[in-house]
Amino acid sequence: MSPVIAWLRNPWGKARFLPLITLIYIIWSVVPVIIAILFAFNDGRSRTAWEGFSLRWFWTDQTLSVFHDDALQSALKHTLVLALISVLIATPLGVTLALGLQRWRGRGSGTVNVLMLLPLVTPEIVMGVALLLLFLQIFNQIGLGTTAQAIGQITFSLSYVVVMVRGRLVSIGPEYEEAAADLGAPPTQVLWRVLLPLLSPAILASAAVVFALSIDDFVVTQYLSGDASTTTVSMLLYASARGAPTPALNALATISLAITLGTLALVFIVYRRFAGGEDAAAVAGLEV
Amino acid sequence: MPPPSLAWRSDKLQGEIRLETLVKSFGDVNAVDGIDVHMPPGEFFTMVGPSGCGKTTTLRMIAGFERPTSGRILLDGEDVAQTPPHRRNVNTVFQSYALFPHLNVADNVAFGLKYKKVTKAERGKMVAEALSLVQLTGFEKRKPGQMSGGQQQRVALARALVLRPRVLLLDEPLGALDARLRKDLQVELKTLQESLGITFVFVTHDQEEALTMSDRLAVMNGGRVEQSGPPQEMYEEPATLFVADFLGVSNLVGAEATGRDGAACVLTVGDRKLLASQGDLGCRGAVKAMIRPERVRIEPQGSEGENRLPGLVEHLVFLGSFLEVRVRLLGGALVTALQANDGSETAYPQGSSVTVHLPAESLRVLPEVPTAVAEDDAASPAEDAAPAS
Repeated sequence: MSPVIAWLRNPWGKARFLPLITLIYIIWSVVPVIIAILFAFNDGRSRTAWEGFSLRWFWTDQTLSVFHDDALQSALKHTLVLALISVLIATPLGVTLALGLQRWRGRGSGTVNVLMLLPLVTPEIVMGVALLLLFLQIFNQIGLGTTAQAIGQITFSLSYVVVMVRGRLVSIGPEYEEAAADLGAPPTQVLWRVLLPLLSPAILASAAVVFALSIDDFVVTQYLSGDASTTTVSMLLYASARGAPTPALNALATISLAITLGTLALVFIVYRRFAGGEDAAAVAGLEV
Repeated sequence: MPPPSLAWRSDKLQGEIRLETLVKSFGDVNAVDGIDVHMPPGEFFTMVGPSGCGKTTTLRMIAGFERPTSGRILLDGEDVAQTPPHRRNVNTVFQSYALFPHLNVADNVAFGLKYKKVTKAERGKMVAEALSLVQLTGFEKRKPGQMSGGQQQRVALARALVLRPRVLLLDEPLGALDARLRKDLQVELKTLQESLGITFVFVTHDQEEALTMSDRLAVMNGGRVEQSGPPQEMYEEPATLFVADFLGVSNLVGAEATGRDGAACVLTVGDRKLLASQGDLGCRGAVKAMIRPERVRIEPQGSEGENRLPGLVEHLVFLGSFLEVRVRLLGGALVTALQANDGSETAYPQGSSVTVHLPAESLRVLPEVPTAVAEDDAASPAEDAAPAS
């Protein structure tokens, strides 16, 4: 047997092929992003030829930088506002729904559970069109714009909150609630002193997911947008990618990526602090 | 364990529980099927039975986690069947302890005090007392996750006892502990109960635990109470086949009850006659003759007298302080005898022929099926009394 074959067949040898495949995949998926980020710092107008490092596309350029271009700045602001609204409404609503569904036994509960998961598998374009018709035909007093966009985003991100919080509810089981009631706590106290603290990792993680989903979303947000003031970063990137883009777009994308990653890092840290690190890794693993 | 301070002792005899025709059904299944149980105040009461016998459901109804389908739960004379758990003066120690993982030991113990009329200062003092009661002083700041199973068990006890409940409910609290710790905690729990004078209602599937710890126990099977009484009485005088088989080890030999001979019942096993003076002596037809292994005497082959059957030593098991002798009777039944390892008894080697002596005063007659009469006695008066709820 040749030494090469012996090396390949050595069952105690270090794993080499699977790590290699993993490495190739990581490079394949990360390199384009890194290149895009890199050109956000390009000194020239080109998004392909490197002309030295500068921050002109972030703020030093007086007209074209993200900081000075009104269209870019307004898109960034609008994206963050929408994300904040989505988080503030979808998270508490989703937690309430999860608690309700968990307690609802008997007729109809199975159907509702399936319906709850429907937004997760519905193609976004279908939901986008449906919501557009809804706001044009039925809720035309609301009309298109920020409110419609927020409602649209909340509609599909709610399911994620429900699924994540219910998962945690199932894993903590009914015993802590029973113990609290047994010790004299009325139902509202059981909720505040026991259930919500125990659910907090899942609530925090789902809030982060809602935030990321909102920032990432393009289809629904695009369909429900009104005038130019309701343009988000993703819409702007899509619209100008085929025009005459400057590295300012890369800078904008870099900023929104940094915000998403920053949020996740924050959640991870806060979670570790409060949950004693019991399964922080699991929460990190939940990420989009 | 040090004797608890006087404040802890409940002097008024309270914490009496009466269950009256209590039923709990889940769908078509009656998990608890109309039981009547009396748990006297200040006693250590154990419900024991195989899994699925309804003991845990009964405990959960007393705690208030399950709402009875019908029947009454009287706590010191007051029906609490429709009272939610947070308004009942009973507390539970859960099988998995259910300590709040986000709170430290002191906060866990103090959890229920928030709903009692005690000042902040008193609260601290009561927590400290409760922790010293379970010998966990100094562990106040620990999180439950940083403690061993035995320590968590003690925290769970302190958390329930600090509220000075009239009744403490314990749902297989020793189930998750290793054998050694279990034995220690059995003794501690019993001592604690005696010094506090609180009624303990203990649920277990371990018959040995039930026998050693309880003042009184109820053997449950299929949602019903087979028999209840003090452990010694239950062991010595099992009323049903199930109890005889469940509590301790029993020899059960199939026999035919044919008549009476003075105070004893005449049993026929094969072509032999046996006299039995315990149990249901009026029973006729197919019965089981029951005797504990420690009451069976092994005698040399050819030994004469009543209640003696010939047999063959099939197997010997050395148990240290005892020798277990399994004898195959001529009729085919297997009888186990326990011989104390006290140096006095003659050893019979495997394969030797012997005579088995089943003394009439230790032989019980148990009906093959539970008599219908006994069930009716328990069920009918209460059925009349209980209004539909």
